[in-house]
Amino acid sequence: MAQSTPVRRTPKKERDPKRIIAPLVVLAVLYIGLEIFLRVFNVAAYVMPTPTHIIQATISSFHIILPDFLFTLKIICVGFCIAIPAGILLAALFSQFDILVKAMQPVVIWLVITPMITLIPLMTLWLGTDPNLRVIIVIIQATPIICLNTLNGFTHVEREKLELARSVGASKLQTFVSIIFMNALPQVFTGIKLGCIFSTIGAVSADFVSRGQGLGDRIIKFTKYSNFEESYGCIILIALIGITLYTVVEMIEKRIVLWKK
Amino acid sequence: MQEAKIKFDHVTKIFETRSQTITAVKDYSMEIQAGEFISILGPSGCGKSTLIRMLDGIIDTTEGDILIDGVKVNHKGKKMPSSVLRKLGFIFQQPNMLPWYTVRQNVALPLRVFGLKGPEWDNRVEELLEMVGLKEYADAHPNEISGGMLQRAGVIRAMVHDPEILLMDEPFGALDEMTREQMNMELLEIWEKTGKTIIFITHNIEEAVLLSSRVYVMGTNPGRLVETVTLDLPRPRKLSMITQKDFIEYRQLLESYIGEIDLSKIK
Ligand SMILES: Nc1ncnc2c1ncn2[C@@H]1O[C@H](COP(=O)(O)OP(=O)(O)O)[C@@H](O)[C@H]1O
Ligand SMILES: [Mg+2]
Repeated sequence: MAQSTPVRRTPKKERDPKRIIAPLVVLAVLYIGLEIFLRVFNVAAYVMPTPTHIIQATISSFHIILPDFLFTLKIICVGFCIAIPAGILLAALFSQFDILVKAMQPVVIWLVITPMITLIPLMTLWLGTDPNLRVIIVIIQATPIICLNTLNGFTHVEREKLELARSVGASKLQTFVSIIFMNALPQVFTGIKLGCIFSTIGAVSADFVSRGQGLGDRIIKFTKYSNFEESYGCIILIALIGITLYTVVEMIEKRIVLWKK
Repeated sequence: MQEAKIKFDHVTKIFETRSQTITAVKDYSMEIQAGEFISILGPSGCGKSTLIRMLDGIIDTTEGDILIDGVKVNHKGKKMPSSVLRKLGFIFQQPNMLPWYTVRQNVALPLRVFGLKGPEWDNRVEELLEMVGLKEYADAHPNEISGGMLQRAGVIRAMVHDPEILLMDEPFGALDEMTREQMNMELLEIWEKTGKTIIFITHNIEEAVLLSSRVYVMGTNPGRLVETVTLDLPRPRKLSMITQKDFIEYRQLLESYIGEIDLSKIK
């Protein structure tokens, strides 16, 4: 571990163009490969339309898809943005008391595993049928996973680091902000990234159950009327929302968590 | 006689774990005067860290009092007051840097906690960085610099708020032999320049003799003071002294107290 020579270790990797180009190449190969495969073997459109047809159909039907796209985007983003502080604050609260950590950790895990769309029929009874209520599904689907990861970070701090805080007489708040929270940041981000995925799943599955609006609902409609190209287009749009959120979070993480290679 | 800078008055520490009760330190008393450089020597597990951590307010005492400048500083269950902690600088066995801060932010951490602001303190941080050759790495994160540099940062972090007392818990134990010797010499220089009171913990007999004016020898089971040896060796100390007759005699004397255990081999 100990190195005596005062030499700076190799600097962090600079932005590597390969990391952007390589996935694009894979995407292009996949696109062309699929296109050729589907045409050569004459695969039926209800199994898998060609990528070109998907894109064409999606663009020409975009005026139909757009309202649903915006609706789902809104549900995911609003729910996700509430779930992040909710998950972190709950974890911060639990971490203040050892008993609460022990008591709540199994409950949180239980909540992570429960598919929250199962609550929709009941929620409709309690709250009515306003589609915007699907935000609640996103929140209760994403909050537990963010909370769980954050809590894990909050409760795993090296003893020496806490002793350092004690040796300078740091207050509880100072210790939390400068040591416990910072120490947990990588795990907080892991939780948030999982939260992206959970939010997307929550929103689309809520569409499936409640119907009437949203990309999930639109997929069912397109499929029912044999517009398979558009169905696939919607699936790709949902994936794009998830990937974009995930990428944004990852970019923020790289800006903040500088100390991890 | 002058009032002791640091006084341990029959201090005992008992750890109660689920399976057993460990008397880590038993009935320990010692007095250290201002400006002294003393060592505490003993095998692993004899309670050296426990002793120094009680003095730094990291853990409570079970019995007995610790006094700094004649004032009792240990109060059961209460945090040590800031005014006392400001007199103390603690150097850990591991560098114990916070990886999310730069070297400079790490070094300045005590200033932030003690609320010491202003250009004179900022300058002090820069001076200390310069003194140990970390100036150009000040904006690096700890994972970018070597172990020896990290430990230097640990030393100046403990000194940044200008404490009167430095507590060092086997500070260079994790470093290789050559770096350790170099750090020891730098430490002596700092001590001679600043006149701080230093308590240096080690399991290395040679290191204890080379650095300190007095060695407190501890034994295990329970952790206790076995013997106090005053070293009548000239200052400033030099590495070349380790081959001189009186140095070797002191070393052998301490070896005889420690018993059969060859401490330099214990890691
Ligand atoms: N927090 C603790 N809980 C229980 N036992 C401890 C704790 N800290 C130290 N001990 C025990 O006290 C004894 C002295 O430990 P320590 O002071 O670390 O010794 P040294 O620093 O001399 O190696 C050891 O037997 C160790 O296991
Ligand atoms: Mg120790």
